[in-house]
Amino acid sequence: MARIELKDIQKSWGAVKGVSDVNIDIEDEEFIVFLGPSGCGKTTTMRMIAGLEDPSEGAIVMDGETMNEIDARDRDVAMVFQGYALYPNMTIYENIRFPLRMRGVPKDQHDAKVRRAAEFVELTDYLDRKPGALSGGQRQRAALARAIVRQPQVFLMDEPLSNLDAKLRQAMRVQIKHIQRELKITTVYVTHDQIEAMTLADRIVIMEKGAIQQIGTPDQIYNDPANTFVAAFIGSPPMNLVEGTLEGGVFRAPGIAVENLSTRHSGQVTLGVRPEDCTVTGIPTHLSGTVYGVEPTGDVTYLTVKAGDKLIEVKADRDYRATLNTPETVTFDLTRIYLFDTATGQRLR
Amino acid sequence: MASQRKKSKGENLALRYLILGGWALFCLAPVLWFLSIGLRPRTEIITPQPIYFPSFSLDAWHMIWSDWPMGQYLRNSVAAIIGSVIIDLVLAIPAAYSLSRFTYKGREDIGFYILSTRMMAPAIVAVPIFFLFRNLGLLDTIWALMLIYAAINLSFVTWIIRSYMLDIPKELEDAAKTDGAGELRILWEIIIPAILPGIITASVIAMIFAINEFLFTLLIASTPDAYTMSVALSNFTGGSDGVIYNAIALVAFLAFVPVFLVVVAIQKHLSRGLTMGAVKG
Ligand SMILES: Nc1ncnc2c1ncn2[C@@H]1O[C@H](COP(=O)(O)OP(=O)(O)OP(=O)(O)O)[C@@H](O)[C@H]1O
Ligand SMILES: [Mg+2]
Repeated sequence: MARIELKDIQKSWGAVKGVSDVNIDIEDEEFIVFLGPSGCGKTTTMRMIAGLEDPSEGAIVMDGETMNEIDARDRDVAMVFQGYALYPNMTIYENIRFPLRMRGVPKDQHDAKVRRAAEFVELTDYLDRKPGALSGGQRQRAALARAIVRQPQVFLMDEPLSNLDAKLRQAMRVQIKHIQRELKITTVYVTHDQIEAMTLADRIVIMEKGAIQQIGTPDQIYNDPANTFVAAFIGSPPMNLVEGTLEGGVFRAPGIAVENLSTRHSGQVTLGVRPEDCTVTGIPTHLSGTVYGVEPTGDVTYLTVKAGDKLIEVKADRDYRATLNTPETVTFDLTRIYLFDTATGQRLR
Repeated sequence: MASQRKKSKGENLALRYLILGGWALFCLAPVLWFLSIGLRPRTEIITPQPIYFPSFSLDAWHMIWSDWPMGQYLRNSVAAIIGSVIIDLVLAIPAAYSLSRFTYKGREDIGFYILSTRMMAPAIVAVPIFFLFRNLGLLDTIWALMLIYAAINLSFVTWIIRSYMLDIPKELEDAAKTDGAGELRILWEIIIPAILPGIITASVIAMIFAINEFLFTLLIASTPDAYTMSVALSNFTGGSDGVIYNAIALVAFLAFVPVFLVVVAIQKHLSRGLTMGAVKG
């Protein structure tokens, strides 16, 4: 129920730069996911949206109104904190009820709302306990319940599922997406987990070292990475990046030669190809190397090929087997090859 | 192997009890000694020969209640002390909150200034304080004692509570803020419950200081209207009857008992740990 614009946001503490040049337009009802390595400024950006941190520069605008001077308590956001921040002296029930009391929700609605939120995170049996008597994952779910107990303008969730086991995490993920769609509440979600990012997000914001690397839908981020950082960060196993030279539409690196590239660029470039866009063919086409490792996982076998001194990951057939150090050849899907400027890391289009 | 480990654990425990028991005896010995003096007849106390099997007598007990308004002294002590602790908490909690949470110019200086009032020798301000209370017409009242005890203890009560507040994760207040709570609400519903052990610790220490305060009490109290236990104690030493050791010992013991009981009753709060479980890690 709110549109959020972050305009030229900078945040620094003295000489320490938290985030810089952050420009994001978050649409009403959108589900935005911040994804990036530890320390890249995800929490900082989120805290600025919540009003818990003042941007050093730039403006935070919600529904056309500049929020910089508006206090956190008047912004009507609900936040799940990375460290949970449960009130230690209150029971889980009182913890979840706290925002209802503070926001003046009529008393007779409290019980039903608290119970529904607790049910949502499967915590109904623990309502009488204090946070100190819960496991890490239970605390995290209590924190989530406290955020979703009311209907704010904006949900801010800082790694709300990081401490749950895989099964519960999957279940919660579906729940969160469902409730967000149902209540139509603009949501900013922080995670390290790319599966979470890909499955939840309308758009993903990839950050590194306090700067935005790319904003786009999961498809765009996956299929159209803006630079080598994004390319290598998304996908599992990550995209293969090979440095080499480009000359007249031909890319060359030790053991690798790719011809007929339709590009006007030349010079030192990095070629990117995802493991799933490589196939083992047996005919020498793009890559000739030796088998370095074979990892069967059941539904797919990962093959690592050594070309020159570079290791290339290939997602091979589930039945694929090979002997170490025997020659192998790999063909790339030429429609899914990416070229980057080696010096800047930026995509060459 | 397992039984061996069990045995060594048992020995460990015995050793621990031995050490702790020895230490407790060492600490309590003077108190028990006082009690034993207080419950002996006066004649037995001033004999030069050691007495191995003292006789029991409630002479001193009857004497302190019949010859002196001991009940009044006790009441004065309790009223002045409790009043002073309440004044301290009312002033120190908001001050500590401000010192630990808001950033403003001179915050550290103000904090240090508050603490520095404790570093001054009390005798320096004795005369001005006497005149101050005389002008206020509060001499020889327990109100004056309350104020003076509160003033003496305010600095370190503030400082202790502040240090507990600094331990509260900031995220807790951030969460309360985003949940819609104002500063006072946060203080009342989140901070104070979380630092309760600190508040109790500070209060107990303030009580002990107040119960032992002598200089200012002597200055302000001139009649039994405002005499407290500590001043009453000093009155026993003189007088036409000579030094009444067994009564002194008994009064001293009486002054000790309430503090002891308070500490025993709340000792579980004297340890930290109420913020456990608030945040990760
Ligand atoms: N109060 C602060 N003072 C100084 N530097 C800070 C402060 N808060 C954060 N930083 C710095 O800002 C950078 C971004 O921190 P932030 O907490 O936003 O990272 P994050 O992306 O949330 O990381 P993580 O995934 O580990 O939670 C970090 O380098 C951090 O050290
Ligand atoms: Mg973070």
